[in-house]
Amino acid sequence: MTTFIDYLLGGVSSGAIIALMALAIVLIWRSTRVVNFAQVGQAMFTTYVALTVRDATGNWIIALLAAIAAGAVLGLVVHWLVIRPVKRVDTSGAIIATFGVLISLQALAGMLWGGDTRGYAPPVSNDGIQLAGRIWPFSWYDVLVIGVTIALVIGLTLLFTRTNIGLAMRASAFNPEVARLSGVRVSRSLAYGWILAGMVGAIAGVLVAPTSQVSPNSFDILLVFAFTAAVIGGLDSLVGAVTFGIGTGLVISLVSGYSDSSNAPVVALVLLALNLLLKPDGVFGHHHSRAV
Amino acid sequence: MKYVLPLTHPLLQTVDVSVKLSGLQILDNVSIGVPEGVVTGLIGPNGAGKTTVFNVMSGFVKPDAGVVRYEGRRLEHIHPHHLTRMGISRTLQGVGLFPSLTALDNVMMGASSKARAGIVAQALAMPWVDRERSRLREQAIAVMTELGVEGEADRFPSELPYPIQKRVALARALVSDPKVLLMDEPAGGIGAADMKDLERLIRSWVPERTVLLVEHHMELVMEVCDLIWVLDAGKVIAAGTPEQVRNDPAVLAAYLGDEGA
Amino acid sequence: MHKLMMLPGSRLVQHAAIALAIWVALTRLNQSVDPLLSYYLALVGMYATAMFGMTILVGLSGQVSLGNGALMAVGGYAFALTSLNWKTVPILGLPWNAVWSVVFAGIFGILVGLVIGGLAARLKGPYLAGLTLGVAVGVPAIANRFPGLFGGENGLMLTVPYPQGGYDASAVDTGPADTGADAIPTEAPDLPTEQAPIGGESLAPSDLLTVDDLGGAVSSAAPSVAPSDLITPDDLMGATGAPIASMPAEPSALASAGTDLGSTASGGVDAGSVDVSAVGGLILEQWQATLSITMACIMGFVALNLVRSRQGRTWQAVRDDSIAAAVSGINPSRSKVSAFVVSSLFAALAGAVFAQLLTYVGPGAYGLGLSLSLLVGIVLGGRASLLGAIIGAVLLVWLPVVVDRLSADRGWPEPVTNNAPNLLYGLLVVLVVLLAPGGITGTIRQSLAPVLRRRD
Repeated sequence: MTTFIDYLLGGVSSGAIIALMALAIVLIWRSTRVVNFAQVGQAMFTTYVALTVRDATGNWIIALLAAIAAGAVLGLVVHWLVIRPVKRVDTSGAIIATFGVLISLQALAGMLWGGDTRGYAPPVSNDGIQLAGRIWPFSWYDVLVIGVTIALVIGLTLLFTRTNIGLAMRASAFNPEVARLSGVRVSRSLAYGWILAGMVGAIAGVLVAPTSQVSPNSFDILLVFAFTAAVIGGLDSLVGAVTFGIGTGLVISLVSGYSDSSNAPVVALVLLALNLLLKPDGVFGHHHSRAV
Repeated sequence: MKYVLPLTHPLLQTVDVSVKLSGLQILDNVSIGVPEGVVTGLIGPNGAGKTTVFNVMSGFVKPDAGVVRYEGRRLEHIHPHHLTRMGISRTLQGVGLFPSLTALDNVMMGASSKARAGIVAQALAMPWVDRERSRLREQAIAVMTELGVEGEADRFPSELPYPIQKRVALARALVSDPKVLLMDEPAGGIGAADMKDLERLIRSWVPERTVLLVEHHMELVMEVCDLIWVLDAGKVIAAGTPEQVRNDPAVLAAYLGDEGA
Repeated sequence: MHKLMMLPGSRLVQHAAIALAIWVALTRLNQSVDPLLSYYLALVGMYATAMFGMTILVGLSGQVSLGNGALMAVGGYAFALTSLNWKTVPILGLPWNAVWSVVFAGIFGILVGLVIGGLAARLKGPYLAGLTLGVAVGVPAIANRFPGLFGGENGLMLTVPYPQGGYDASAVDTGPADTGADAIPTEAPDLPTEQAPIGGESLAPSDLLTVDDLGGAVSSAAPSVAPSDLITPDDLMGATGAPIASMPAEPSALASAGTDLGSTASGGVDAGSVDVSAVGGLILEQWQATLSITMACIMGFVALNLVRSRQGRTWQAVRDDSIAAAVSGINPSRSKVSAFVVSSLFAALAGAVFAQLLTYVGPGAYGLGLSLSLLVGIVLGGRASLLGAIIGAVLLVWLPVVVDRLSADRGWPEPVTNNAPNLLYGLLVVLVVLLAPGGITGTIRQSLAPVLRRRD
């Protein structure tokens, strides 16, 4: 039983990071109906930016802020240069283009920072906390990760419910024509979606870096987990992304604990396949029947 | 009010069909019969549910209540792709041609249910695949000739004027040699001369084929139909010969209401 | 032309003639170039085989899949496991022959394709891409899960079923081969020799696979293959320290060392389809290229038949408009599944060839990078065209070589050289999707269309 609880505890913070990455994917899907397969590529790139800034300043917070800024810029650039021009041509094209961006970013990162795996020291201890006579598989760094995730989710909720920008984004995502008629600048709202997603992804990247290390490909597996969580959550739903992001983290931690960590991608694949088979629109998604 | 026309043994019919889509009652106890060997029209103002009737008949929409009967048998679990095999063919609103196939290939696609060569035989280019292809090709050319579009066989849909595209789409529906033809707005977007052709064509099919058409163009419906059903807001409000329907006050009211909208 | 098409069997003759002509031309080419170019030719044939399947799946059927690299792994492992473990053909009891391994690779590919395709047919665009992405990452992980069967991270070493008496292993090490190919130097002098093979570092699962990586894959895998009484330390030294130019020669050293495996498979791949007298004069790379070219031509023939058949147009029809397809009497999900299964067969057969080119199967060689490579190739060449698949295959092999040469001339630092091909691929993919969705062949066809029209 204690092992079970230990495994669960160990999965919470990785689940939080998966949740953040899934959030980024959902934010973009809501705004432009594109699954951004380059999301983890962007996050990897901004994490390298953070690494560089941190090497220069030695400050974790400044590095995080730099990553967030870079994430915003990168999100905007990808939206403007790649997605906006391609979107109407064909749906396959948009998917392929995001993979093109992923490949480019990984290669560019390899060019700029080399292919070696680099560590990323956490700002607070990553060792298990000692409490009540034992060491728990839960560190102060996990507390930080979960804290940041909760703060972000609250912030996003407030943004979407209390601010004009958030309302405009929701209106543009829900019904662009109506939104346009009511004076919303739709294309700007869509760009906000990409910027926001870029920032959230950047935070996720910096947070995952101490546990996964940083290399041009080290976040690939995170893409699979985040996509799984986002799809099971319904792709449209922020709540779904967070819920199933954390859920995916827990399941993976349990599977890795009881069997072997190399099973994790297979388990994610099985989860994804089962979900797509049983409920193609996800648990929180809405069913749209196509008109004939 | 429930309107039932005394029809004995219609070839195709809906019996008390109701459809609800996202909370809206699209069809409410609709019973429509299509007698064999005549042209039947289905009219009604926008949003009356005409296309939904088609979708129920062709298996795209599963009714919440009621059944579809064809040749007296109840149709259950039908998928749209089963229709041509049963002798029912359907045209789509607009044209619905495949943009990346030539006109001839589009028409040949309509004969899919007649093609027998399997994927392995095709992968190995067995001689009988070629023979089947030339046979289907001849049939397609024959139907295209009947509709006067054989000269456009090698063109792509985007290179053809709209009325010609509509004819190609019609040829695709006809090439399976259907017993029943369901036509969704055949006159949409075509000019007066083509309309006359269309009228003549449709009349030339009966009594060998049975036709059901959904149409906005009143003149065509009144000219070409033997029997007309009128839908409004998901309910049948009238049925009868063109003459009877024209003079039905309920129909006038429904259409005047539509004009005002 | 139209008259000819009407004759029964004319397509069979026409397409077989095209495939045969290409086979003859490439076989001639293969015999006249140095081993490295033969190896490149082999890689092109392998990529082309897999990408013919992509033409059908992504191009005609419109399903963007990243799973085909994993399906190549299915074929590669099926080939490796059957050829390593079976002395006779199960049930049939016939003596083992490498052709059977290829057949089993194809059968396994079809079976796995049915499972994934059945699932995929229900999914639209991004869902399908995401699921197959999971397949691309998850399936190679299975190899790690069962190290006893699949050899784990290190994979399995193989021998190429090289015809007996055709090749003397010592010839590669000592210099010119004495088998009639004596004009061919084992180390191409005009190639950049300072290009060191990239070790395990480049084997991160999602690197786009380049020729460099192949060298890396083999050289990094070799030392860790435990049951390697087959491999002498000298071979390993040669392998790990070798410059890229001798990379293709290195697997041959392993092949010759593997005596007992070599004899198992020494019956060779169906020699009946190959000019046996010519085989005697082939060195290993040329033999590998012959295998790959033969497979590519056979499967190219099949692909050509399918693309120009009613089935090919059915796939396009469902991609264009599944509703109109359904009312035309086509079962859309069945059409999508069949495209998936066909492309799985192509991928599995390409995977079996790939295993023989590397003389190795392992998760690193069949990772996400391979799937992405196939997607890149098909998009650049032209999504819906078999010629596009071939052009894409050439680009995948040729671009890294060009970059290597440029890098050698200009003295680029190593990270730039290693990543320049992928950066180019990524940017080109984006540009092609934005500006020329038809890829190279689509764009050429489009610009030639007015000319061809007039000639009609």
